Amino acid sequence: MISPSRALALIFCASLLAGCDNNPNPPPFREKRADGSPWLVRFSGLSEDPREFDPQKMYDQMSRRILEPVYDTLLEYHPMKTDPYEVRPGMLEEIPKKEVSAEGKISYLCRIKPAARFHDDECFPGGKGRPVLAKDVHFAFQRMCDPKVESPFLSNFVEYIPGLQEAHDAAEKSGKFDYDAQKLTSIELLDERTFRLHLSKPYPQILYWLAMHCTTPVAREAVEYYDGKEHDGVTRPDFRKFKAVGTGPFRIAEYVPRQRVRLVRVEGYATTTFPTDGFPPAKAEWLQQFAGKPLPLVDEVNFSIIRENIPIFILTRQGYLDGMGVNKDAFGAMITPGRELAPKWRARGLHLEKDVEPATFWISYNMDDPLVGKNRKLRQALSAAYDAQTYSDIFYNSVAPVAEQLVPPGIAGYSQTYRNPYGFNLEKAKQLIAEAGYPNGIDPKTGRPLEITLDMVAVGSEDRQRAEFEQRCFEKLGVKMKISENTFARLLQKQDTGDFQLSSGSGWGADYPDPENFFFLFYSKNMPPAGKNISRYNNPEFDRLFEQMATMENGPERLEIVNKINAILAEDCPNILNFHKAFYSVVQPWAPRTQDNAMLEGGVRFATVDPALRAEKQKDWNRKPLWPLAILGGLVAIGAVSAVRINRRRNA
Amino acid sequence: MLSYVLRRLLYAVPIVLGVIAITFLLFNVLQTPQAAATLVLGPKASQQARAEWIKNRGLDKPKSEQFVKHVKNMATFNFGTSWKSGRELNEVFRTGVGPSLMITIPGFLAGLIGGVGLALYQVFVRNSLLDRSITLWAVALMSVPTVVYIIFLQAIGALMLNYFPASGFDWRGLETLKFVALPIIIMAVVNLGSDVRLYRTIFMEEITQDYVRTALAKGLSSGHVLGVHVFKNGLIALITLTVGSLPALITGSLLIENFFGIPGLGNVLVLAIGTGDQPVVMASVYLGSLLYIASLILTDICYALADPRIRLS
Amino acid sequence: MEALFTHWLTQNLLVLAGFSLIAWMLWSASHHERWRRAWLRFRSDRGGIIALVVVGIYLILGALEVLSFPTKGGGTRTVLDLFVGGVPAEKSYSAPLATRLLSEAKPDPVKATHLLGTDALGKDVFVETLKACKTALIIGGLTAAIYIPLGTLFGILAGYFRRRVDDLIQYVYTTLASIPTILLLVAIILVLGKGLGTMSFALGLTAWVGLCRLIRGETLRQAERPYITAARALGQSHWNIITRHILPNVLHLVVINFVLGFSGIVLAESVLSYLGVGTPVGTPSWGNMIDSGRSELSRDPMVWWNLVSATVALFGLVLSLNLVGDSLRRAFDPKRG
Repeated sequence: MISPSRALALIFCASLLAGCDNNPNPPPFREKRADGSPWLVRFSGLSEDPREFDPQKMYDQMSRRILEPVYDTLLEYHPMKTDPYEVRPGMLEEIPKKEVSAEGKISYLCRIKPAARFHDDECFPGGKGRPVLAKDVHFAFQRMCDPKVESPFLSNFVEYIPGLQEAHDAAEKSGKFDYDAQKLTSIELLDERTFRLHLSKPYPQILYWLAMHCTTPVAREAVEYYDGKEHDGVTRPDFRKFKAVGTGPFRIAEYVPRQRVRLVRVEGYATTTFPTDGFPPAKAEWLQQFAGKPLPLVDEVNFSIIRENIPIFILTRQGYLDGMGVNKDAFGAMITPGRELAPKWRARGLHLEKDVEPATFWISYNMDDPLVGKNRKLRQALSAAYDAQTYSDIFYNSVAPVAEQLVPPGIAGYSQTYRNPYGFNLEKAKQLIAEAGYPNGIDPKTGRPLEITLDMVAVGSEDRQRAEFEQRCFEKLGVKMKISENTFARLLQKQDTGDFQLSSGSGWGADYPDPENFFFLFYSKNMPPAGKNISRYNNPEFDRLFEQMATMENGPERLEIVNKINAILAEDCPNILNFHKAFYSVVQPWAPRTQDNAMLEGGVRFATVDPALRAEKQKDWNRKPLWPLAILGGLVAIGAVSAVRINRRRNA
Repeated sequence: MLSYVLRRLLYAVPIVLGVIAITFLLFNVLQTPQAAATLVLGPKASQQARAEWIKNRGLDKPKSEQFVKHVKNMATFNFGTSWKSGRELNEVFRTGVGPSLMITIPGFLAGLIGGVGLALYQVFVRNSLLDRSITLWAVALMSVPTVVYIIFLQAIGALMLNYFPASGFDWRGLETLKFVALPIIIMAVVNLGSDVRLYRTIFMEEITQDYVRTALAKGLSSGHVLGVHVFKNGLIALITLTVGSLPALITGSLLIENFFGIPGLGNVLVLAIGTGDQPVVMASVYLGSLLYIASLILTDICYALADPRIRLS
Repeated sequence: MEALFTHWLTQNLLVLAGFSLIAWMLWSASHHERWRRAWLRFRSDRGGIIALVVVGIYLILGALEVLSFPTKGGGTRTVLDLFVGGVPAEKSYSAPLATRLLSEAKPDPVKATHLLGTDALGKDVFVETLKACKTALIIGGLTAAIYIPLGTLFGILAGYFRRRVDDLIQYVYTTLASIPTILLLVAIILVLGKGLGTMSFALGLTAWVGLCRLIRGETLRQAERPYITAARALGQSHWNIITRHILPNVLHLVVINFVLGFSGIVLAESVLSYLGVGTPVGTPSWGNMIDSGRSELSRDPMVWWNLVSATVALFGLVLSLNLVGDSLRRAFDPKRG
């Protein structure tokens, strides 16, 4: 007879044996390439599932990370030129030039490379991918206008590209977008590969939009073939969800929801190559070996979907991930006070990479609120009471730079020397609040502390700590700051209806590297719910300057206007500036980084790896001590012996 | 027997309807369509995109109409698609059930075996200091929050000892076991305290029965009596008790799945709660309650089978 | 309404009311034969007594944090603040008894010695742990105030009147019980908004089912007894029979269920905190401390004191409650101990 405890022990040992290999990564698709050289695989983490693989619809970071290597864009960000950000040709032969016709009409002439091809797929005749043509770009813009596609990008174009809104409205009315009849005249097809993009007014930023996935050409065959319906007993996937027929260096080989996404290289891809210029001096020599090489450099990419922070840390430590972003909790373990990699990690051969993302975060005032909206001194006082540096110290290990202006680093108009006149200064804040009519934070009408409500989203314990920190900063002025916790949806609703005083956690990451993309958040024609002017800021002077700078090319003239706008915003204080996003990441010795562009989402196509070094280190980093098993066995033995002894004594 | 089961199933219908009504009420108060649209499409989405999203999902229709449609969908197991990921929910549940069962069932069995083993051991050394200290330990084990168990066991098993993968899951034949081994151990340990105490009470009641005394008097070794007679007789009470706890297993693995990245139902659910993915939460509540009702019926049948005196009427 | 409830005077009165209620219950129990016998048995159970004392300490700590008095500036201070309120806040983490902040970049000297260190926001962990005691007790107490009357009343009604009443009550609780508890909790809290009140309401709404089922079963048994049939035959009113005969005979089950249920509620709070629907900002709670502590473990040097303090405090309360519950059960039902 097997006693239950013995069975348990057996099961335990069996599971221990199975657990001997603690590598969670799947085996690669192949061991060797066709030419016998090693098959290279990269392993990275994704913190969430992608939302969709439809380029015209996709907006979230995770989907972008996956689609970036799968779909080429017309233009693309140069992987190393970041100050200022620069685009280079992707599927287009060259960066299109602005042309002004005799009547003053603006247009861009674009020509697609003959090498650009769709991947082989059963939706094409004979299963062979065909070249990308100008009509595919036209089709992509049509899709953005189709109400059924639910593209979030349309509203960004309607003001500048004529005919899009009309096409959308017509489809809305008839209930169906007619792709054959509803031609868009602003994308004029000249020949198979050439088209002309017409604008209704100057918009230099349009080039950045051509580097985004919403304008990437898609094949009409693919959209029509993958309709998510059943054909001959087989349900086809839905293009609008998780089916990609791409044009890039990788294709999606496998997507298992909540587990992983795997990409494999596309043989014969030749649209883009590794850049030959713009190498940062520190890495230039090493990068030179890749210059002009065909992409991608590796054969397979494995994204594991890991939502919790701790496993990411553990797996990086064990060498099963090729790198990780250093989050707040891992920071102390990995980074020294001198902002360098801690010695024990450096000894393992890891590198530290420091990035600043073009994003700014702030606390919004509601300018329609009868209290804070109408009292500029009060807004200034609260702004001066807010200690953004300590916030960055606590929550970002001092890595995130304090925001002195709305525009983040790396974007035209950002000034390193500019200081916010109402940045942290408690003395000044106390003086300002007295001038605002509330000396020591006391409301003279009631004789009690002035009560202000701060709305925020509280999900995790860290959100709670952030709120508490902000509360503490403001209460140093003597006011009473009430925290109102919301679900994310509820806060957005309050922002839409203007039902708040202060709203924490507002922010904006650049869609494209241009100051216009930030200033439009305070443009009065951009009020919620239709627009994103959460502060409900309305200043005719600001509006005038904004309209002027929005359509200008970068230059000293534009810079002057940007500076004026900055001064207006600083004085009016429609928000309390907090920080710019910055983060550190560590990369394993076998996978040094080949790109530095924060506008790229990973730049997987440029990535490289040294598999031999990885295998060696993984073995070294995953030794399994045996003493805990001995202790466990000892405990069981003691238990058995004492049971026998107790029983013998009782029977005796 | 059959008519009894049928009657119980009929009785379940109004309960299921009640559950659907409650969840519908809760979640339609919870989120206005506008809020849901913003939540799903993100803060950068335009007003126009949101209006389109609402219209395409029929959320602008009257509530009563939506409710009737909802009941119909639930009754036909047509759960629609997740708002967040856009995936078919039937598919989400189908793919999620496997990984969940891979930890819940072995975890449950391991807990059962471990609990019964310890309880029998306690009965074996009953009323000794060892027995009392195990009881105290069991109470202590009950007093530790689940989250703390997971945190510590993950840190020890995955980080410090390198025995188990820290996260992940894959169907890979026997190798699948390595992903679920640590979650199974945690699952077993989490409920060990309360289980041991329960089982000990059952076996102690058994051991005072006459047949045990007779068997011992006949000269059978006490180990044999315990392992065979007491165990067998206690098992009946045990099974009926544990079947009732089956639905709790589903939520029990909720936290574990999240910490270990097991792509099961608990994982789906926690994410859906966090992101306000209404269809997922509503369908999960519905499925969870169906399971609960099924296990109630199962418990009753077990009772009846175990004790012929209870008539199935 | 809310202002009235959060007023310091109301709070003090509530604490007094709570303690008087306990005293009154003890006093009336001492006049009841069955309870007196149980007490005699309980008294000889050394473990139970120690656990009871520990629970008492927690109760007093919680009460000290509620009892408050107005200060000059228009605010209020709690009595507990008198003892530990003077501990200054630091900028961020510092280890137990450390002289400097944990931050290697800015290791400023600390303003005071912290027995259990400070957390991310520089708050003294020892003080936070003590203060969180109140939160746990309030949640437990409020929940009990909701679910005990509800469960007892419906349980007795169902068991006593049977038929339609029983069917209806059974229907309601089976339906509620069919919804996975954790989901129901989260849904209710998300709908009603966060707060100790709504959290207790949600917990109460899910907790009464178990009690109701228990009381219903016991009432069914009691109602079969000859003395009830006799009372009925004598024409006593239902009200009289329920309050005089049935209630006293099921009350010990309520008490045991309350003690054991209380520990379940305290544990549930920690899970809710993990799911992001825990206590509101500014309310110290063990669940929140554990939740924020879980990721602090991977820091270097490791920040363990937050997690460990909260876990130990929670563990102490739950363990004592469990032990008291066990002892009570043994005292009332010596055969099954």
